Amino acid sequence: MPYLSYSNREITLKVAYCGPAMSGKTTNLSYVHRALRPEVKGELFTLNTDQERTLFFDFFPVEMGQAQGYQLRFNLYTVPGQKNYEANSRLVLEGVDGIVFVADSQPERLGDNIESYRIVQNNLVSFDVDINSLPAVLQYNKRDCKDPLPVGTLEKELGLNKIPVFEAVAVKGTGVMETIRRVTQIVIERFQI
Amino acid sequence: MLLITRQGITIAVAGDTSYLNTTAMAALVAGMFSATKEVARIVGEPQFSILLQQGEKKHIHISLVGEQTMLVVIFEDQNRIGMIRLYARRVAGALVQSMAASTEIEQVSGELLLPKFREYALALIDRIFQA
Repeated sequence: MPYLSYSNREITLKVAYCGPAMSGKTTNLSYVHRALRPEVKGELFTLNTDQERTLFFDFFPVEMGQAQGYQLRFNLYTVPGQKNYEANSRLVLEGVDGIVFVADSQPERLGDNIESYRIVQNNLVSFDVDINSLPAVLQYNKRDCKDPLPVGTLEKELGLNKIPVFEAVAVKGTGVMETIRRVTQIVIERFQI
Repeated sequence: MLLITRQGITIAVAGDTSYLNTTAMAALVAGMFSATKEVARIVGEPQFSILLQQGEKKHIHISLVGEQTMLVVIFEDQNRIGMIRLYARRVAGALVQSMAASTEIEQVSGELLLPKFREYALALIDRIFQA
């Protein structure tokens, strides 16, 4: 849900990276953070377990600049992918304006990808949000793995029509900026007051 | 003091916050409050309306203001916690009334030309999220 402030002249939008554990959500966010100029990004916060797994969320704000006299900001989050942190994942999705679903292209992860998507879908339903109406992009990460899932697999399994799809190798940055650019574009294109 | 939304956005600040990363603090406090709300639900409470974090020198009192906002008070003298709670409760009541009367969204709606806003915003996206 966009945050609009007339008095502060601010518009803040929330985008979350979700997907199964170890699919590359934090890797995506970290790459975006490194790639941005210092003056537009805030500090990257990661709330992790001792094993460097996302426990609650990773977060940093992007100060986009002025649009029509309003300071536009995107708050970027990742959602924990591990199943035992599903409650935390749900909390982070509240108020989200757009999502990037980061799928793991390794063929043995197909089931995890599908299960994770269903969990995200159900979590959004708990906030009365239909995932099909939310600005979203699908990223097939880890395209450098052996026999990656063919693009189109998840779209067919999950009935995702017309969702923008990106192939990525997030550890190298491949496809990462294209993904965030597209999801933020869709959020803006559909922005309503 | 900070007034933040449940989505983790700072609405207003008061006092010396120059040493704080208020953007990050708002996001983290909102996350903390969301988590404790779920804990409350698990133990059978509708919610915990107050959080108190005790440090060595600085302490934080977080209280709900209405349903969507939180008041964060950072203070140093732990002996003042009773007074902090009292004033936070009073301020919360006044803020709830004030925010109920707010027409922020209507004012933004009246001022923002959506097609132009989208045009400028998309140009910003192209510039900032370059591959």
